[in-house]
Amino acid sequence: MGAEHAWLLAAIPAGAFVVLALFGRYLARGGDWLGIAAIGTSFALFFVVLADFLGTGSGLGPFAASIDWTRIGDFSFPMGIYVDPITIVMLAVITTVALMVNVFSVGYMKGEPRYWWFFAVLQLFAASMILLVLADNLLLLYISWELVGLCSFLLIGFYWEKRSAVEAAKKAFVTTRIGDVGLLIGIILLWREAGTFNIQEILHLAEEGHFSHTYLLVAMLFIFVGAMGKSAQVPFHVWLPDAMEGPTPVSALIHAATMVVAGVYLVNRMLPAFEVVDETLLVITIVGLVTALLTGFMAFAQTDIKKVLAYSTVGQLGFMFVAAGAGAPEASMFHLMTHAFFKALLFLAAGSVIIGTHHHQDMGELGGLWKKMPITGTTFLVGSLALAGVPPLAGFWSKDEILVVLDKQWGPWAVSLLGFAAVLTAFYTTRLFIRTFLGQPRDAHIAEHTAETPPVMTGPLVFLAVLSIVSGLVVFHEVGTALGFPGGFGEFVFLPTHGPHAYEFDAAFAGGSVVLAVLGIFTASWFYWGGRLDRSTRLAQWQPRLYDMLVNKFYFDELYQAAIDYGVLGFSYVVSWFDRYVVNDTGVDGSAQLTGYTGYILKHLQSGRLPHYAMSLALGVVALAVAGLVMRG
Amino acid sequence: MVSLEHYVALSGILFALGVYAVLARRNAILVLMGIELMLNAVSLNFAAFASYLDPERVTGAVFAVFVITVAAAEVGLALAIVIRLFRLRATSNVDEAAELKW
Amino acid sequence: MTLEEAQGYVLLATLATPLVTAAILVLIPSRYRMAHRYLSLAAGAVMLGLSVYVFAAYQVGHDPIQMTLRWPWVENVAFLGEKGVSLYLGVDGISALLTLLNGIVAFGGILVSWKIDYRPKDFFILYLLLLTGVYGTFFALDLFFFFFFYELAVVPLYLLIGVWGSTRKEYGALKLTLYLVAGSVLIWIGIFAVVREAGLGTFSLPALWEAGQSGALSPAFQKTFFPFFALGCGVLAGLWPFHTWSPDGHMSAPTAVSMVHAGVLMKLGAFGIIRLGIQILPQGAEFWMPTLLVLGTIGAVYGAVGALTQRDFKLISGYSSVSHMGYVLMGLGTLNAVAMTGAVLQMFSHGVMTALVFLLIGAIYDQAHTRDMKDFGGVAKVMPLWVIGYVIAGLANVGLPGLSGFTAEFHIFVGTFRSYPVFGALGIVAAAFAAAYMLRLFSIVFFGPLNPRWASLRDARPVEVISGGLLILSILAMGLYWAPFVERVSGTVLHLPGVAN
Repeated sequence: MGAEHAWLLAAIPAGAFVVLALFGRYLARGGDWLGIAAIGTSFALFFVVLADFLGTGSGLGPFAASIDWTRIGDFSFPMGIYVDPITIVMLAVITTVALMVNVFSVGYMKGEPRYWWFFAVLQLFAASMILLVLADNLLLLYISWELVGLCSFLLIGFYWEKRSAVEAAKKAFVTTRIGDVGLLIGIILLWREAGTFNIQEILHLAEEGHFSHTYLLVAMLFIFVGAMGKSAQVPFHVWLPDAMEGPTPVSALIHAATMVVAGVYLVNRMLPAFEVVDETLLVITIVGLVTALLTGFMAFAQTDIKKVLAYSTVGQLGFMFVAAGAGAPEASMFHLMTHAFFKALLFLAAGSVIIGTHHHQDMGELGGLWKKMPITGTTFLVGSLALAGVPPLAGFWSKDEILVVLDKQWGPWAVSLLGFAAVLTAFYTTRLFIRTFLGQPRDAHIAEHTAETPPVMTGPLVFLAVLSIVSGLVVFHEVGTALGFPGGFGEFVFLPTHGPHAYEFDAAFAGGSVVLAVLGIFTASWFYWGGRLDRSTRLAQWQPRLYDMLVNKFYFDELYQAAIDYGVLGFSYVVSWFDRYVVNDTGVDGSAQLTGYTGYILKHLQSGRLPHYAMSLALGVVALAVAGLVMRG
Repeated sequence: MVSLEHYVALSGILFALGVYAVLARRNAILVLMGIELMLNAVSLNFAAFASYLDPERVTGAVFAVFVITVAAAEVGLALAIVIRLFRLRATSNVDEAAELKW
Repeated sequence: MTLEEAQGYVLLATLATPLVTAAILVLIPSRYRMAHRYLSLAAGAVMLGLSVYVFAAYQVGHDPIQMTLRWPWVENVAFLGEKGVSLYLGVDGISALLTLLNGIVAFGGILVSWKIDYRPKDFFILYLLLLTGVYGTFFALDLFFFFFFYELAVVPLYLLIGVWGSTRKEYGALKLTLYLVAGSVLIWIGIFAVVREAGLGTFSLPALWEAGQSGALSPAFQKTFFPFFALGCGVLAGLWPFHTWSPDGHMSAPTAVSMVHAGVLMKLGAFGIIRLGIQILPQGAEFWMPTLLVLGTIGAVYGAVGALTQRDFKLISGYSSVSHMGYVLMGLGTLNAVAMTGAVLQMFSHGVMTALVFLLIGAIYDQAHTRDMKDFGGVAKVMPLWVIGYVIAGLANVGLPGLSGFTAEFHIFVGTFRSYPVFGALGIVAAAFAAAYMLRLFSIVFFGPLNPRWASLRDARPVEVISGGLLILSILAMGLYWAPFVERVSGTVLHLPGVAN
C-alpha cells in the first residue's frame, strides 16, 4: 500500500456515492455514517500515501503509470495518476476539510429533506476533486473539473424549491461553463502540438521550446481563462456570492476550500509552461490584484455574513493567483492551504451562527452573539485573526510570503496594491466579527432564542481553529523536518527551475504585514465598535453614489444581464425569427406555394376550346419542323 | 408543261386554305371541311410525287388511297359527334363547346 | 454452416422480425387489441436481443464487413450482369452500433405506444414497417435494397404522423414526407449515375466501393455526383439549411414516432453520407467535405442559439437535434479518424438521448396538454422520476463527462481541432450554449416553487420507467465505459477511404 494506491482516495468516496444515490433513502439515518466512513477512510489513507511518498524522497511522483483507455490511430485516451508535493498539499486540504464538513453536516442538515442525497453528492464531490488533483493528464483533469462543477450545481440548487437557489445554481454552472470553453480549447491546442495530454510531458516540451511562442501563449491564456472561471476571478466572479444559496457546509467545502481553488491548482501545476511565456505571468498577477482589490471593496457593503465571506474568498483567491503570477508556487499553495483551513472554519462557524440563531444570517439582525455562543465566537475570532493576517496565526505567514515574493518579482507597485488589499481584508473581517458577535444584539427576539450548537458542529470548528493557528508554522525548516518533510514548505513545494527555498525571516516585511493588519483592524473598530453605527452611516452618506456602487457590487450583474438580454437572447431571437420566417416560411413553404402557383397558372392552358388546341398543334408541328431543319443543318 | 412544282404549289395552297379553315372558322362543319381539304391536299401531293418520280410502282398513290380511307372514317365519326353536340347544345359553334377545361 | 454464415442469418432474422410480425398483425382482426400490443412488444424484445447480439458479436480487428448474407435477386438481365441486384446484408462497426441504437429505441417506442387507443393495429403495422426499413438500410450492401429500405423507412411516417400526431399533424406529415422524398429523388439520381458510370452492371456496394476507390469513377464524375448523395441524405440528417422539416415534424409526431424519427432516422441520413458518399466517391468527398464541415458547424451553432428562446419543449428538442446533428456532420466533414469516430458515437449518443427526451415530453404532454414551458414550474415536486430522467438526458446533451454526450463530443472536438481549429472552437462554444438552454429549461420547468395547476400530475408510469431506464443505461454505458464502442467504430472508420489520422 503506497502512493500508487492514491486512486483509492477517490474510488472509495465514489463507491459511497453510488450506494448512497441508489439506496441512501432506505439506510438508517440517511446513510450519513457511510459518507463519513468513506471520507474518513480517504483521510486515513492519505497519511499512508504521504508516508510512502516521503519515504521515497520528494521530487517526481512515484506512480507515473497510466493506462491507454482507448486508442484511435495515434490518439490515445489515457488514465493515470501523478503524485508530487503539490498533489500532497491538495490531498491534505481536501481530505481534512471534507471530513470536517461531513461531520458538521450531520448537525447542520439535521431534519432537512433529501438528507441522504446531500451526503451522496458530498461523496461524489470529494471523489471528483481528489481525482482532479491526482490526474496526470489534462483530459482526466478536464473530466473531473466538469464533475466538480456538476456537484457544485447540484448542491447550490439543493433547496430547489426556492427560485433564488435554482437561479444561483444555473448562474454558477453557465458562468463556469464559459470558462470551461476556454480551458478545453487550451487543452486541445496543447495536445495538437504536443501529441499528448500528459501534463509532465507537455511541460517538458514547453521548456524545450517545442511550441512556438505565440502558439503557447495563446494556449496558456485559454487555460488561464478556464482557471479564472472556476476560481471566480474578475470578471467571472459573479457566480460565487450567489452560490451562497447552497447549504453552508457546501459553501465551506466547495466554495472556499476546494473547488474554487482548482483554478489556483491548475495554474500552479502548469506554472513551468506559464513561465516559458512569461507575459502570462503579468496577466495572472494583474487579474489577481484587480480581483483582490475589487472584492475587498465589495465585501464592505455586504450585510449577509455568508456574502462577506464569499467576497473574501474571491479576494483571497486573487492573492493566490498573484503569488503564482510571481512565479512562486510555494507561496501560492501555502496560502491555499492556510486559507482552506481558516476560511472553512469561518464558513462553518457562520453555519453554526445560522443554526444557533434559527436561520438568521444578516448582520443587521445579529450582534452580541458572543455571550450565547462562546465556542462559535472564539473559533470565529481565531478564523478572523488568521484571515486578517495577525501573527502567529496561519494567515499571517502565508500572506507575508506572498508579499515577499511579489516584491522580488514585480516590485513596490504590486506590493503596495496587494498591501492595500490586505488592509481591506483586515477591515471587513473585523467589521464582520464586531457586528455579529460583539456589542448589543440588534434584535432582542433572535438573541433570546440563540443557543450554542451541539458538539457535532462545534467539534470541527475547534479542530479547524487549531489548524488555523498552527498550520502556518510549517513554513519553518525545523518544523518541516520534525514532521518528516525535507524542510519547510518552500523546500517541499517549489518550481524545478527555481529550486527549494528555505524560509528566511524578513523583519521589514513581517513588520509591514503586521502594520497592515493592525491598520485594518483599528479602522474597522473605530467605525463599528460598541455598536456605534453612526460613523459608518455617515461614511455611507458622505459619498452616496460610491456607496451604491459598492452595495450593487459595481453593477457587474446588471451589466451582464443586459449583455445577455440584448446580446445573446437578442441574437437567439434573430436566429429563431430567421429560421421560422426566412428558411421555413419563405424557403420551404414558399417553394411549395410556388409550385402550387405555377400549377395554377399552367392549368389555364386547358381552356377546353378546340381552336386553342388546334393552334397549339399547328405551332408544335412548325416548331418541330424548324428544330429538325436546324439540327440537320 | 405542267410540272411537279405546279402540283406541289397547288397542294400547298389547298393545305393552307385547309389550315385557315380549321383554325379560324367557328362552325364545326366548316372545321371539318377544312380538315378534309388538308387531307385531300396531302393526297394530291402524294399522288403527284408518285406519278412524277416513281411511275412504275406509284407508291404515293397507295398512300393517297390510305389517306382517303382514313379520312372517310374520321369524317363519319366527327360528323356524328357534331350532330350529337348540335342536338344537345343547339349550336355548332366550336367556341361554345368548352366544358372540358380546368 | 459456419459461424459467419449463421450470423448472416441473424441479420436476416433481425430484418425479418418486424416485417413478419407486421404481416401477422394484418391477419389478426382489429378488435384483438391486446394481441396486437403483446405481439409487437414481443417483436420489439426479439429485435432488441438480436441487435445487442449483432453489436456484441462484431469482432474488432478483423475484416470491417462481417456477418454477410447474399441472396441473388435479379441477374444477367438488360444492363445487369453478375450480381446485378441481390439481397446482400452485412454490418461494419458503424452499422453494428447503429443497429444497437435502433434496437434500444424501437423497444422503448413500442413499449411507450401501449396506450394508443385509436386503431392500434394499424399503428403497430406501420411502425414495424418503419423499423424494417431502418434495419434494412443499416444492413444493405446492395444499392438497390439500400434505397428500397430507405424509402420504406420514410413513407410510413406520413400516415403515422398524419393520423396519430398532434399540433398541425397534417401539415407536419405532408411537409416531412415531401421534403424527405425530394431528398430521395436526389439519391436515386445519384445511384443510377454511379451504377451506370461504374459499368459493372451491379448494384452491389462492395463492388462499387472498389470501383470508386480504384479510379473507375473519374474525379470529375465524383465531384459532380457527391452532392446528390450528400444533399439527398443530408436532408434526412438535418443538414443546415435543409433542416426545417425537423422542428415541425417533431412537434406533430406522436411520441414513439418522434423517438424513432429523431433518434434513429436522422442518423440514417448521416449514415448514408458515409455509405454512399464517402465510400463510393472518395475524391468527391474530399472535395466537398469542407463545405459539409461549414454547414455542419453552422447547424451546430445555429441550433444551439435558436433553442435558447423557444417556449415549446419539443421545439427546444428539435433545435437541439439540429445542433447535435450539426456536430455529426462537422465530424464527418473533417475526414479525420478521431472526429469521424466521434461523429458516429454522437449518432448513438444523441439517438438515445433524444429518444429519452421525446419519451419524457410525451409523458407530460399527455397529461398537461400543453408544451409551453412558461405554463409549468416546480414539477419536480410531483414528478421526481420524470425530472431525474430529463436531467440525465439534459446533462448528456450538455456534454457532461460520465455521460455519452461527452465521449462523443470530445472525440469530435479533438479531431476537428487537428485540422480546423476555428471550427473546433466554434463547436465548443456551441456546447456552452447547450448548457444555457438546457439549464434554462430545468429552472423554468422542473425547479422553483410548484405551480399549483400541476399539483395533480402523476409521475412516470411503468412503461415509461422501463423504456426510459433502458435509454439511461445506454447513456451511462457510453459515458462510463466507452472502449467497446470506440473500438468497433474506429476500426471501421480507419478503413474508410480518404480518412486521415
